[in-house]
Amino acid sequence: MADSPLYVGIDLGTTNSAAAVFDGERVSVVRNAQGATVTPSVVRLDKQARVTVGTRARRFIEQDAANTAAEFKRLMGTGKAIDFPAANTTRKPEELSAEVLKALRQDITDQLGIAVERAVISVPALFELPQSAATSEAARLAGFQRVELLQEPIASALAAGWRADGDGAGTWLVFDLGGGTFDASLLETRDGLLRVVGHDGDNFLGGRDFDWAITEHLASRLAVVPQRNNPAHTPALRALRLAAEDAKIELSRGDKAQVTLAQPLSIDGREVDVDLELDRVTVERLCAPLIDRSIDVCLRLLAAHGLAPGRLARLVLVGGPTVMPMVRARVAARLESSIAEGHDPMTLVAQGAALYAATAGLDGRAQSSAAPTGRQVWLQYPAVSADLTPHVVGKFVGADPPAKVKLVRNDGAWSSGEATVGPDGSFLTSVTLLPRRACTFELEARTVTGERIAVSPPALTIVQGLTIGDPPLSRTLGVALASGHVQVYLERGAPLPARRTFTHHTIETIAKGSSDSVLRIPIVQGELAQAHLCRLVGTLDIGGDAVIDTVPTGSAVEVTIELDRGGRLAARALVPAIGQVFEHVAHLLVPDAAPEALDASLRDLRRQLMDLRTHAFRHGLAQVIEKLDRLETRLSEAERDIDASHGGDADAAQRARRALLDVDATMAEADLARKWPELDDAARHAAITASSTVGMHGTDAERALLQEVLSAMEKARRDKDAPELERQMRLASRLSSAAFNRTSEAWEYYFEDAASEVSTMRDLPRAQKLVVDGRSAVERGDTDELRRVVKALWQLLPEDSEARKKGFDSGVR
Amino acid sequence: MSIVDNPFFVLGLSPDASRIEIEREAQKLLGMLELAFEGAQSYDTPLGPQPRTAEAVRAAVAALRDPYRRLIAELWVRNAPPIRRTAPPAAHRAPVLTGLRRALGWRP
Repeated sequence: MADSPLYVGIDLGTTNSAAAVFDGERVSVVRNAQGATVTPSVVRLDKQARVTVGTRARRFIEQDAANTAAEFKRLMGTGKAIDFPAANTTRKPEELSAEVLKALRQDITDQLGIAVERAVISVPALFELPQSAATSEAARLAGFQRVELLQEPIASALAAGWRADGDGAGTWLVFDLGGGTFDASLLETRDGLLRVVGHDGDNFLGGRDFDWAITEHLASRLAVVPQRNNPAHTPALRALRLAAEDAKIELSRGDKAQVTLAQPLSIDGREVDVDLELDRVTVERLCAPLIDRSIDVCLRLLAAHGLAPGRLARLVLVGGPTVMPMVRARVAARLESSIAEGHDPMTLVAQGAALYAATAGLDGRAQSSAAPTGRQVWLQYPAVSADLTPHVVGKFVGADPPAKVKLVRNDGAWSSGEATVGPDGSFLTSVTLLPRRACTFELEARTVTGERIAVSPPALTIVQGLTIGDPPLSRTLGVALASGHVQVYLERGAPLPARRTFTHHTIETIAKGSSDSVLRIPIVQGELAQAHLCRLVGTLDIGGDAVIDTVPTGSAVEVTIELDRGGRLAARALVPAIGQVFEHVAHLLVPDAAPEALDASLRDLRRQLMDLRTHAFRHGLAQVIEKLDRLETRLSEAERDIDASHGGDADAAQRARRALLDVDATMAEADLARKWPELDDAARHAAITASSTVGMHGTDAERALLQEVLSAMEKARRDKDAPELERQMRLASRLSSAAFNRTSEAWEYYFEDAASEVSTMRDLPRAQKLVVDGRSAVERGDTDELRRVVKALWQLLPEDSEARKKGFDSGVR
Repeated sequence: MSIVDNPFFVLGLSPDASRIEIEREAQKLLGMLELAFEGAQSYDTPLGPQPRTAEAVRAAVAALRDPYRRLIAELWVRNAPPIRRTAPPAAHRAPVLTGLRRALGWRP
């Protein structure tokens, strides 16, 4: 077995984690020291700062809650440290996740005798970049040399699809209800290729909401009712919640459960005995609205793709809460489909991650450091292939390569023809695989005289099976500009890895040696064009103390943003004027969520929502009203979380922060809808202007582009899709200005326009000199000079400080 | 999507190519690009040869996996002028176009 590859996948969950390995033919779930397939994501530090992980740590949640941490995954990337008073120390969420990963890594070593160095770790579909970065960091701390991250829904789909024999053709739905998040993914498999057709989800719905619903019900029946917003009541609620969790599990089998605590709870100095009866009907009544919410998400996803319930080829359930019979029954009934059997909802994600590790060619075994024997060759081939006859591309290193190469399958039943090696050492051939098997091919290289020579590596392995294309980017990524707008770098759905470069200009001087002078390039993620509605995921700072020379205002900065397959971000800024590159992305943290700030934005959003609602009612905009109703529910939930955050629950605070951002973004869209007549009118004008300018001055390419834009505008208008119309409108006006700029009047017009604002410009003497230069250029009819002057004037125009604040203090435009 | 970025040109395939053929060709091209094969560095279009990058190949496969985007790409390529294997006169040189599209914020 030592020769076969070992692909490792890890599901680092909010409540439970699991690991699985794939050897090219079979996936197996790794059992921990207790023999279980899942390990609770719980870490405890005792007085001597000794670490306990998993089931053994979970036992202490009740007795020693202060020194036992759970659900820290939700705090990943926030930089918030978790206290362990007994050991008098703190740990960051990624350090705790690293402990869980270490435990799983040890389990793999115990079971297979191999210390793994590479693995695939799953992350929620809507993880933001800082959270992904923190996950990578956790893996590094746990001793992994290299990891790739994979979105959980893709992992579960891959695992479910791998098992499907042959023709699971059609559309599948993966229903993934985790501890804290819900994801629904619509997939399609054809010709062994898995494609994610669509995705929807609710970042704020999970098994823990079930537990809280039951906990609050239990709390309300106590003699003294503990409150979530009171820090003093936290221990009582925690004890109650553990009891609720147990009762929930008991009730998935029986009809009645007794909730009894050995110790009375101490609430406001009073001893409160807990001895309550809970029946299945009550639990179902409490959880039904939550389950329905997840099903509504699925129905919305199906409708968005023109599918009726009952048309699903397969329905796969993933995640702990989906074990509950009530969840299964309700989902199957409302989606009118039967649930696919034979998948373990608790470990499916880990299995998928292991399969993906194979697709990514990420062999977990340590690379042997032994010197290669034989002629070295670089090989390129797919580690997993749906295609039965994939290509193998290779190149021999060094001069004087062998003349011929042949690949022989290790069952001896097949070999490739002899491929000729080019003078530069390159060759191209293809191999034939056996369905659903891992095939190893030996490389036979011969000299011109037919002598066999040893090569390194001597063989390659390809697995035949379901593959998935490059993972798509889950959220649009860009740079916030000083104008408060976003320059989009990579759009949602772009295949990863991806890289793009744009040139910006500085709006202030970076003085050499001054530590106060910092140019900020904020990197944001989100679907809207206004920066403040997107999430800040990192900043690239160019400080005065780092530059080798002063960088004047208006200098070009070439910013490159790069994402790897796992969605990890790298950004680089090149300042050509001084020939320096800056790569350090700082503040890659999810912003802090102070309860007071959350209160304020909640009040603000409530007021805006009221305005929008009044307007929508007055104009009978049924669709908008429906959207706003959903927001109302979200706000009430956020309010509860904010209450809990006053009680010191950092996790709830983060949930609330994200919920409020989501609401804000949805409201901005609804607000656009309100301005529809205005927008529609503006779009018509933009179309007419663009048609005439591009028609008169545009190139063929611009005309073709404009045609596309115009038809997209028409579609957006038909669909009443305000954000899309706005986007297309911007494209149309950019096209028309590009065409207009080609004319000579254009620059005269721009010049007069800029000259009229000269008094507000940043560097007045310079601006005045430029205006003089410009006037003489106009008289001479020197368009090139005029263009230079206008561009220089534009650099001197002040940025609106309000807008800049909304653009996260961006120093570029 | 401009004609020079048409996924079928990028991959050097005919619009009749099956899904498997597309994946196979892309995998081969990515391998060849990784090992810096001479033949993989550019592709032919009606506007002359264009530089081929791994990013462009990935974007092309992603586009062709989506049935709707594939249909559009097929329509364009079927109605495209014949392929030119030599660089066109300087005036129509493609980089101008590429630069224009970049400036307009279109995807590469």
